[in-house]
Amino acid sequence: MSQSTIGTAVPQVNARSKVLGRAQYAGDIQIAGMLHAKILRSPYPHARIVRIDTTAARALPGVKAVLTGADAPDKPWGGGPHKERYILAKDTVRFCGEEVAAVAATTEDIARDALDLIRVEYEELPAILSTDEALDEAAPTVHPGRKNNIGHEIRFERGDLAAGFAGADLVLEETYETHSQYPGYLEPMASVARIDADGRLVVWTSTQSVFLSRGRIAAALVRPVSSVRVVQATTGGGFGGKIVEDDNQLVAGLLAVFTARPVRLVNNRLEDFQACCMSLPERITLKLGMTRDGLIVAKDVRIVAECGAYAGLCGEVMHVSAMRSDNMHRLSNVRSHATMVYTNNPPRGAFRGFGGTQMMFALNSHIDSMARMLKLDPVDIHTRNAIGVGETSVHGWIIGSTGLVECIKQATEALGWHVKRAQKPATTATRRRGVGMAAAMHVSGNRTIGNWDGSTVMVKLNEDGRAIVHSSECDMGQGAMTVLAQVVAHELDIPLAHVHVAAPDTDISPFCIGTLASRVTIAAGNAAILATRKARDKLLVLAATELQVPQDALELVAGSVRVRDAPSRQRPIGDLARLHIWRHGGEGIQVSATWDARTTMPDTTLYGNVAPAYSFAAQAVEVEVDTETGRVTVIDSYVADDCGKALNPTAVHGQTNGATVQAIGWALYEQLHFEGGRLQNGNFADYTMPTADAVPMLRAGLVESNEPNGPYGAKGASETAILPGAPAIANAVFDAIGVRIRTLPITPEKVLAALRAQAPGDPRHA
Amino acid sequence: MHEFEWLEPTSVADAGHLLAELGDDARAWAGGTALILAMRQRMLAPTHVVSLAGIAALRGIGFDTQQGLRVGALTRHSELAASALVRRHYPMLADLASRMANPQVRNQGTLGGNICYADPATDPPTCLMALSASLLLEGPHGQRVLAIEDFLVDYYTTALQPGELVVEIRVPPPVGGSDGRYERFLRTAAEHRPLVNVALHARREGGFCHTARLVVGASVAVPARQHGAEQMLAGQTVTPELAAAVADRVAGDITPLSDLRGDGEYRRAMVRVVTRRTLHTLFGLPGEISAEGSTRA
Repeated sequence: MSQSTIGTAVPQVNARSKVLGRAQYAGDIQIAGMLHAKILRSPYPHARIVRIDTTAARALPGVKAVLTGADAPDKPWGGGPHKERYILAKDTVRFCGEEVAAVAATTEDIARDALDLIRVEYEELPAILSTDEALDEAAPTVHPGRKNNIGHEIRFERGDLAAGFAGADLVLEETYETHSQYPGYLEPMASVARIDADGRLVVWTSTQSVFLSRGRIAAALVRPVSSVRVVQATTGGGFGGKIVEDDNQLVAGLLAVFTARPVRLVNNRLEDFQACCMSLPERITLKLGMTRDGLIVAKDVRIVAECGAYAGLCGEVMHVSAMRSDNMHRLSNVRSHATMVYTNNPPRGAFRGFGGTQMMFALNSHIDSMARMLKLDPVDIHTRNAIGVGETSVHGWIIGSTGLVECIKQATEALGWHVKRAQKPATTATRRRGVGMAAAMHVSGNRTIGNWDGSTVMVKLNEDGRAIVHSSECDMGQGAMTVLAQVVAHELDIPLAHVHVAAPDTDISPFCIGTLASRVTIAAGNAAILATRKARDKLLVLAATELQVPQDALELVAGSVRVRDAPSRQRPIGDLARLHIWRHGGEGIQVSATWDARTTMPDTTLYGNVAPAYSFAAQAVEVEVDTETGRVTVIDSYVADDCGKALNPTAVHGQTNGATVQAIGWALYEQLHFEGGRLQNGNFADYTMPTADAVPMLRAGLVESNEPNGPYGAKGASETAILPGAPAIANAVFDAIGVRIRTLPITPEKVLAALRAQAPGDPRHA
Repeated sequence: MHEFEWLEPTSVADAGHLLAELGDDARAWAGGTALILAMRQRMLAPTHVVSLAGIAALRGIGFDTQQGLRVGALTRHSELAASALVRRHYPMLADLASRMANPQVRNQGTLGGNICYADPATDPPTCLMALSASLLLEGPHGQRVLAIEDFLVDYYTTALQPGELVVEIRVPPPVGGSDGRYERFLRTAAEHRPLVNVALHARREGGFCHTARLVVGASVAVPARQHGAEQMLAGQTVTPELAAAVADRVAGDITPLSDLRGDGEYRRAMVRVVTRRTLHTLFGLPGEISAEGSTRA
């Protein structure tokens, strides 16, 4: 009987250690002689540092180091291609919260006290706090030499846009604004860094990628990568914020180098709000041309994205906004011009959905508006334009599988779409209900990360027949360890509990890109299959000798290799693993395999199949709007996720519902307030993420489109589900009250203002 | 957070002496839900924290028909919500206690601590004021009883003297025909603190209002009796028109807070909506709905 858990609902393999409090997060680590660090941050969005006096702070008993920009390497770092930032600011601070000085002391309280004793003299400089100010020809630049504060631009055009629009029966142009969202992981950023006995820098940290961390730490601290070891501690969520953009690991590392002692640096929640990268706010002007039966014939996109003071991954995020949504439809005529602009607001960057949420809000809102103008159902427009299996998109993306149309059908039918859409609320009712839907696509993997999009997995078989798996793809709570354990257990036909997935460690585990772009299941999952089959082949070779039969007469069942026609003749995996050591000069069964996505790096025109698979999702929601208070309540929500094949339906369900909640938070509840560049609500009382009582009982379903490139048909299932939430809600609000909110979030004040502005007698125009 | 001394007196008198002696260096710990946040953010840095947990006189809930309700200051919100006495005689208060803030705060925070913190963005004081509650205080100079209106002075400021503690909260016995309604309005479902709350306690017969106590909180610095509105209601049959007029009056009479959590004009508008809805539900007027759950007393 098969012991496989593939496709079955199993708990996360590391859930027990977390709920029992045994899991060790970076902040839990205690090392003899360990110091505690704190960071002094800039109170100004833009200022020159005239002088810093650390005398009093250094004199405080228990303080072991007070570092400033003068102590930081002269080599700038950056969370992306633009290297413009220093571990501690040198001369100039460019956002409120930028790291100015760092203290290491024997206790956290002493370190905190020392911050109050550091005297910094600033000369305030004019701050640029909006993209309009930044783009003003007369504006000063946030960084020297960045003309008009433009950090990156993307332009492309395919087909014949003018002809496309000329052939349209309806052309609509509107501008949408999306706001920044705090990633809101439970565990704020944390690192413990130490110089080991050999002089190497070891960093235990909360991260989505140990190798990207290692590379960045080595570069920023100007050390060979081999002198840096990064170990992933249990990570309490990342949502994109723990890839490469934070400064926490670098400050911890710098202090460890200076003090030669272990240093623990844990952000408190306010510090995490100030230091992390929030999602990228974009102003998107979208112009679509449609035929009267809903065929999209031309699409023109202009984006202004505000990266804040440092660019990080914002250029890459904006790239996704500019082009990804084009591939979900069968388009010929598209144009995009996206501009990334610096300001003196805090740096923005990667966030679950990676630029998809912004554009999907605009596109799905737009399609809903045009559907109303054309008296069509948006479901039909999405379905009509949806790209199909085997097709190549306008940008050269090859669609190996898609469940988009089924997702739309499943979500809308579950909501009772047709019945509810037909029930128009009385325009006199105080509370009115409406329904909305949205559809989305995402990638599973992405070649643009470095013209390699692979993963390597090592499998060791122990003498007891159990397996140890090494991969560097991080589990940040999404389930990488579980899925890898499931794959290896399945291939060896051993119990899930007999597979241990080791924590990523750059000294021990193979190179990785990391947990981003929804790539782990497809890339590492495939690598795990290949590695385990290599191990299985070694077992079969040895068993063939042992049992005196040809290899092809053998099968691996229930943890043993046996003769297919004489099953009683068998050898347990453990016995074979032991024999392998004695028969092969001490080499146990340990194998490594690499899987690299067969994708192509996009060419200079940005054409090329970037991902081995593409994921799709659709969502339908019902909302109730209180027309006297402006409150929007989500009554019902159903998300259908095409994840190819749900290797673990419980994990997919968790990802889908988590994404749904995060999308509801972005659309309705969460809003960062800045005053003069200074964050006003960096805490969970004033920045209100949804709790369980702020969302309806969520519903979700699967569509299994069986991806040919995926492990057992699977593709990514962690980001797609966040994409349709905000526009589905906005569309439902329109359906309820005839008000179109194009600037997120949809606050009660905006709803009331829009209701007041509604032309009497014409409440339902699009 | 700085290190501090943890003191555990066992009587109100001992606690009072400690607090009086230590002055601003000491803080009293009831449930700690607000204090610990302020200390972690270093807004407060007491050298001594005086735990009240060992003082039996601050506990317990009692009721008799002559004296009414007495609630020990250390009673947790969840205990108040679960109390059979409170549920039976003051359902408006019990129901509020079951819905306020969030489960963590309800299970840890105390009624006395809540009142002494005098945070405007909370619920119990508004409700207690409508119920004509008073507080028994005890300090180095003895005991005194203050109406809650006199106790709450301003934003985060009370009439508590150095060394004085709230010992118990007293609510008069319900009189015949009295009925109440408490509404808390959250700006969004993700908020745990009210933007506006309205408590209405009235003696009524059907739609006729003999007398009413109407209190608005959360959008004002301290919960405020709405005397003008109360006069409009006294001796009147409450109609939709009267309810609307009273709501307008209340909205006009308050001085709304204006901050990140809600602009003053939005708060004023919501006070109008919530007041009207509260009147509609209490007096059984048709076609209305509660703002965010509600209760009868």
